[in-house]
Amino acid sequence: MPVWLREHSWRQTLTAVYLSLPLRGARATPANIFCSERYLKVSIPPFLFEAVLYAPIDDTSSTAKIGNGNIFFTLYKKEPAMWDSLTLANAGKEKLQYLRENAVLKAQEKAKEETEAKKISKQEHKKYALEATMKVEEAERKRIEELKEKERQKVTKELEFWKNQQKDADKYESIQKKGELHQEIEPLKERQNEKMNKTRIPDEGTSKIRLKSTKGRGSCSIFSQNLKEEQLPAPRAAATIKVNFTPRVFPTALRESRVAEEEEWLHKQAEARRRINSDLTELEDLKEEEKNPDWLKDKGNKMFAMGNYLGAVNAYNLAVRLNDKLPLLYLNRAACHLKLRNLHKAIEDSSKALELLTPPVPDNENARVKAHVRRGTAFCQLELYTEGLQDYEAALKIDPKNKNIEKDAEKIQHLIQEIMQSS
Amino acid sequence: AAAGPERPQVVSHVQQALSYTVFDCKWVPRSARLLCLGSAARGTGLVQLYELHGARLELLREIEKPKPIKCGTFGATSLQQRYLATGDFDGNLNIWNLEAPEIPVYSVKGHKEIINSIDGVGGLGIGEGAPEIVTGSRDGTVKVWDPRQNDTPVANMEPVQGESKRDCWTVAFGNAYNQEERVVCAGYDNGDIKLFDLKTMSLRWETNIKNGVCSVEFDRKDINMNKLVATSLEGKFHVFDMRTQHPTKGFASISEKAQKSTIWQVRHLPQNRDIFMTSGGSGSLHLWKYEYPAQRTKKDSEGSEMGVAGSVSLLQNVTLSTQPISSLDWSPDKKGLCVCGAFDQTVRVLIVTKLNKI
Repeated sequence: MPVWLREHSWRQTLTAVYLSLPLRGARATPANIFCSERYLKVSIPPFLFEAVLYAPIDDTSSTAKIGNGNIFFTLYKKEPAMWDSLTLANAGKEKLQYLRENAVLKAQEKAKEETEAKKISKQEHKKYALEATMKVEEAERKRIEELKEKERQKVTKELEFWKNQQKDADKYESIQKKGELHQEIEPLKERQNEKMNKTRIPDEGTSKIRLKSTKGRGSCSIFSQNLKEEQLPAPRAAATIKVNFTPRVFPTALRESRVAEEEEWLHKQAEARRRINSDLTELEDLKEEEKNPDWLKDKGNKMFAMGNYLGAVNAYNLAVRLNDKLPLLYLNRAACHLKLRNLHKAIEDSSKALELLTPPVPDNENARVKAHVRRGTAFCQLELYTEGLQDYEAALKIDPKNKNIEKDAEKIQHLIQEIMQSS
Repeated sequence: AAAGPERPQVVSHVQQALSYTVFDCKWVPRSARLLCLGSAARGTGLVQLYELHGARLELLREIEKPKPIKCGTFGATSLQQRYLATGDFDGNLNIWNLEAPEIPVYSVKGHKEIINSIDGVGGLGIGEGAPEIVTGSRDGTVKVWDPRQNDTPVANMEPVQGESKRDCWTVAFGNAYNQEERVVCAGYDNGDIKLFDLKTMSLRWETNIKNGVCSVEFDRKDINMNKLVATSLEGKFHVFDMRTQHPTKGFASISEKAQKSTIWQVRHLPQNRDIFMTSGGSGSLHLWKYEYPAQRTKKDSEGSEMGVAGSVSLLQNVTLSTQPISSLDWSPDKKGLCVCGAFDQTVRVLIVTKLNKI
């Protein structure tokens, strides 16, 4: 239930009403005041003041001043007349409600109209601004174009002038030269003249003669030209220079290189080496060196070389438990399994190795070839010849120059053919 | 690029649409004529001779050859003869007299694969010494030819037996300041740059700039070698100071990354050796100026001399086409006049203004 504020006081003139409303300590903001033509409301929860005005007022020009715990309204009457009272005294409840609602509706409509008007004016302003900038830019562009045009014309004129200069100089020189030459080398001149007549480019001929004189070397005739030729050194003694081209770590030019993939591979290697499977509590009783996968790999390799395949497998197993991202471990273990005729395990390990050897780059070519070959061998020993052939062919694709792989691949092909024929 | 008052402007003077792919364009020395070399749609080679008339190019002559032509040079011919040396897609080196182009003046099947680049020295009244032509090919060899000696090159830089070859993409002559001295610089597709000394017939220096080398050029062929610019894929180019060679570190250099795309060509302005233009795969041209450092040499910790590279500043850039501009040539007679050919089958004649004020 709101608390009605009733201690307002008011006075009026012919054109205006002055209403003072004490606020009893509440703080008012403009949002709390609602005013329309016939209805005035101040709502500061829990306080409420409303007045259905005696006569309509001009709510756009009316003002409200908030301060000193008081709101002071200055309401301008629509029609200058003296009011009997501030509010309609004998208004029924329904009438009051009707007026109230009306007021609210009107206020809303007004607000809508205002926003519409604002939008429209904003758009117009934008349009205007845009047009203004466009004009300015056009003017700028035109100015630059004009400058360029001027340059162009100036330069064209200069060029024409230069060309004409050349032509005139040609003519002048040719007249002079013709005179000189006439005295000197008669037969040669005749030949030259013939050439000149034959040619479809008259300027060419005259300019040739002119050039000899302007060379500044004092050679004004064809004879001097010959002398000059004799002064030229003989052709060089032929020789060959052998060149080497810059080798690269990855043997393709930068634009062809698969640098991204190679980086990825190097990164992966680095990551793999750093990794340690740390959740192995039963390894606490191992010696320090036995916790190093590389050391274990070496041990495994040595045992393999000596023929101790089971021992090698154990070493590799331990290494894998410590670091399962090193492809070489799986690769070597696959070799051991092959020797031990654990063919399925060999296939598993080769596959795992190949998985880890992505992305395929020249760096891990050798490893991949070995993995394919080992897996191929295992397949063949299991008599799965087609799968084996696939692996051998993959290996051959990586390393086409390897004769052993080629031979083995051929052998497998023959075997497959035999089987197909006999079945 | 803003039209600043003092910066050089690149003004497009004439544009000519062609009906074939143009691989190289060259000014005919001492004239307002230019040549376009390329490959027609039916797989034959084309040489077109144009003359600049006002605001247009007039076609004076068209010569068709059986094989598409990749590159050409006037560098080794005398000013009277002005014979054109061309390299074609089949590895043939031919020298043509443009007035009688049916039979070449000199012809040799120099390489097994396309000749990517050609350069000539000793002609046009520039420098001294024998006229020579160098060709670089996809077969990995660089060969130097003397037009007076048939069939065999006077120098052959080839890969060691059994070594995998790399395409040679560009060649340039330099250091031809007297009758004996000459060097050839070659750039390869794996980023190798090799400098061959023809006087001692040896490899004088090599380096690798990681990306394929599209174009090399000395700032002048006929002086004691001063600067070498090498451009490469991925928008980078390197400027080497060639005056001081350190025994282990070679030549000092700076590198600049100019455009996101390949820089196809670099050409120095014949009238000012510190200004050069690079053309790019995005159809743009950049004009650069090299500034020398205060001291061009300094001593390293052991007391041997080493060079100091300077700096490069961009004077202007302009985008002319959407396709790569594969060839560029400055006119040796009119400062600022240049021609460029692009893969959109257009050849453009440009004028670069205000080069005097630099």
